[in-house]
Amino acid sequence: MAPEPIIKQGEGLLVTNEQRLSLRQWAVALVLVALVALVTPRLWRHIERFDTGADYRIPYQLSNDYWLFEWRLQQTAAAKPIVVLGDSVVWGEYVKADGTLTHFLNRQAGQPERFVNAGVNGLFPLSLEGLVRHYGGALRQRKVIVVCNLLWLSSPKADMQDDKAQDLNHATLVPQFFPNVPSYQADASARLSAVIGQHVGFFAWANHLQYVYFNQQSLTRWTLDGDPNKPLCHPNTYKNPLSQITLTVPSGVADDAARGPGSARHKPWTADGSHTSAFEWVNLDSSLQWAALQRAVGLLRARGNHVLVLVAPFNEPMMTGPDRDAFRNLRDGIGAWLDQQRVAHIVPESLPSELYADASHPLTGGYELLARRIYQDEGFRAWYLAGP
Amino acid sequence: MLFHTWTFAVFLAIVLPGYFLLRNTRLWIAWLMLASYVFYGWWNPYYLSLVLYSTVLDYCLVTLMERCPRQDAGSDASGRRLRPRFDDRMLKGAFVGAILSAAGLLALAVLGPATLRPAASGLGMLVLLMALGAFLGSRRIWLFISVFNNLALLLFFKYGGFLVDNVNALLAWVGLTTALPDPATLMPYGFTYLLPVGISFFTFQSLSYTIDFYLGKVPRERNFVRFATFVCFFPQLMAGPIERARHLLPQYQAFPEVRLSNFTDGASLFLVGLFKKLALANYLALYVDRIYGNPAACDAPALLMATFAFTWQIYFDFSGYTDMARGVAKIMGFNLILNFRNPYLATGIGDFWTRWHISLSSWFKDYVYIPLGGNRRGKLLTYRNLLVTFAVSGIWHGASWTFLIWGLLHGMGVMVTRKLERSGFYRERVPKLAKQAWVFAFVCFAWIYFRAASLDDALLIVRRIFTAPWHDPQAPLLMLLMVGLVWLYAFLYESPWREILKRAPLRIATAVCMILYLCVFASGGGSFIYFQF
Repeated sequence: MAPEPIIKQGEGLLVTNEQRLSLRQWAVALVLVALVALVTPRLWRHIERFDTGADYRIPYQLSNDYWLFEWRLQQTAAAKPIVVLGDSVVWGEYVKADGTLTHFLNRQAGQPERFVNAGVNGLFPLSLEGLVRHYGGALRQRKVIVVCNLLWLSSPKADMQDDKAQDLNHATLVPQFFPNVPSYQADASARLSAVIGQHVGFFAWANHLQYVYFNQQSLTRWTLDGDPNKPLCHPNTYKNPLSQITLTVPSGVADDAARGPGSARHKPWTADGSHTSAFEWVNLDSSLQWAALQRAVGLLRARGNHVLVLVAPFNEPMMTGPDRDAFRNLRDGIGAWLDQQRVAHIVPESLPSELYADASHPLTGGYELLARRIYQDEGFRAWYLAGP
Repeated sequence: MLFHTWTFAVFLAIVLPGYFLLRNTRLWIAWLMLASYVFYGWWNPYYLSLVLYSTVLDYCLVTLMERCPRQDAGSDASGRRLRPRFDDRMLKGAFVGAILSAAGLLALAVLGPATLRPAASGLGMLVLLMALGAFLGSRRIWLFISVFNNLALLLFFKYGGFLVDNVNALLAWVGLTTALPDPATLMPYGFTYLLPVGISFFTFQSLSYTIDFYLGKVPRERNFVRFATFVCFFPQLMAGPIERARHLLPQYQAFPEVRLSNFTDGASLFLVGLFKKLALANYLALYVDRIYGNPAACDAPALLMATFAFTWQIYFDFSGYTDMARGVAKIMGFNLILNFRNPYLATGIGDFWTRWHISLSSWFKDYVYIPLGGNRRGKLLTYRNLLVTFAVSGIWHGASWTFLIWGLLHGMGVMVTRKLERSGFYRERVPKLAKQAWVFAFVCFAWIYFRAASLDDALLIVRRIFTAPWHDPQAPLLMLLMVGLVWLYAFLYESPWREILKRAPLRIATAVCMILYLCVFASGGGSFIYFQF
């Protein structure tokens, strides 16, 4: 059996290794780490190829790569195009990159890159606020269109008032401690981790590496990537992880087979015999998502942005009569608040129902019509022509 | 609260400044106790009551034990039975209090709400025993109560389900229709029946204090706060090292001398531990879980490789925790006992146990092996004592037959090789590398039983290792490379080239690489394996 294991004061500390740094050695090590952490992300933007061009949108699989989002905004800073912020309605869930709202707005403007698609798939106002706050610094002093999708106010669950925990798409962007979001029930450690990730750019860059080169997972998980139900199916086992880092951000074109007029998903919501749905519209006063959108707009304005809020037209025929009335009250309430705050805004009428794929996402034709309507709106034209 | 979470970083950022600010007052120890309770309660505040209960009871028992004369318990008892007069006011008070409490608890057990009856009857019996202890003024009874109480806690929370399952299976096998109730049904007010994290550690630590006091090895700690901090000191509360009163309690007598080296050494230890856990153990776990999760679908090389990977996983996981625990304690000026000493470089199975989980193996040596007679009563009894000690050590790790077999395997290994390892031939003629290789192979083999989900799985894995076909095990090269580097480091450390590892550039480069790897590539999260024990 074991001998007396007690170490007395002053005796060997580590006993199993020599990894014992003095103060000076720690200082050197920490300076080196800080240097790497500061320099690498900046340097990376010079060595990594990131082709964008007209109608570029962040690829679906990179939706959570906020470092790339920030880079995209910085990339466009010089030309100062109008940035359109929002969720999958802006991004174009059912359409190809050349079928999105920004594409048709650009067509209306007669300039291929006047409007930038800064939509992020899966975003919602509570996470939009976080995205703007932590990764939207490059937007300063620019014209920004914020698209408000009322789907997020269509029920207490969508508004995240529900006490039942939800698996959120952009959990690290939602307010971690204040205000409380009942549906977001991460533990304290996950919340702190999110807060630190928001403030330390190096972590966002590390996340970028994992998203772009390691199939949205850590390096270690990537080496064991494969069908979890087949214990011996790891195609990356013997691959050199460094060879994965090709220094090129994927263009995102590949995922378009599932989108656009040629795809099976691109069809009117009525094609499958869909019927009206029940909506439990929340009160504006108590809505968490609306409050977050208000804060996001306030933040943008505080940063000197020239903001226009587009209240995305909703598929009203999908609603029953009373629900439609409640919806219109809600929409009017939003318009009234924006008026009161003197925020430029447009509240277009609903598109023809056959131009929707679901409650809020237009099809290609819907986006085209919406862009035309936006351009015809006097408020928009006034906003478009004024300011920077 | 886990060491490798940001919650712990925030916790430490609050605790450390408070601790150092209070250094000139008597409150620093109370601050440590409070911090430790917050640390434990973070996991489950209700189960904090168990730590408190165990602490208060052992503190009281030792206080009462001190009032009893050190003399033969038998004669003492017979004397008191005839003449139950108390010459000690505290014992008299304890007797009256215990009798009243026992009456109340037993009344509650009979007449009270059904949900409280099991707990009330258990506590009532315990308090009745305390009354007997006070009546007889017997140190041995106080010790018995402490041992009984701590083991009862362990038995109920850790082994309750296992015992009930097995006893019920046995009853069914012999044709009896009666069955023991599920332990979860005995919880008052429907509290969730959970295995309290670290229960095996804090009960053993508290128990060692009462036994040592009984044996006259340590004085009584009069300050309750100091004693409570000893039982629940947060760095080692969840997974050890299991401290001894004679080592840790003296360090609490005054605010420790904290030098700059405490911070640098503590941080060094913490970084190494963090790297072991997040970069190595978590990575190996990914591979091990896949293979051990479905052994029937895996070929021999994959099972061998997964066993090899688990061998390192458990070492990195547990020693990583210990490193972090010792690092945090070091920063506060405390030295925790050593728990690991490059165990996979052991040259004998006995030697392995002087390097692996040292605080536990020495605990079992002092409180099981030696009380059983140790090696003083002849060869046969020595072997019996070894086997019993290792069997208990095995079952300590978990309520499953696989752990018992793991312990017995090691016990038999030590028995069989004991004489050989002490022979001149083995020590001088057999190459060191060969000895290390065979011990490593044996330890790997035993880990199969430790890791397998069930006894059937363990037997299947052993069978398939020898009978299944050989195909590509698909173990990631990166994983093998990392383990290889650690192994190389350990070999270098125990070789004449050890000085190379002390060079400043190498130390700095290693630290930088570890930090960057953790930031960029490691996958976070995951509890520690030994938390379940």
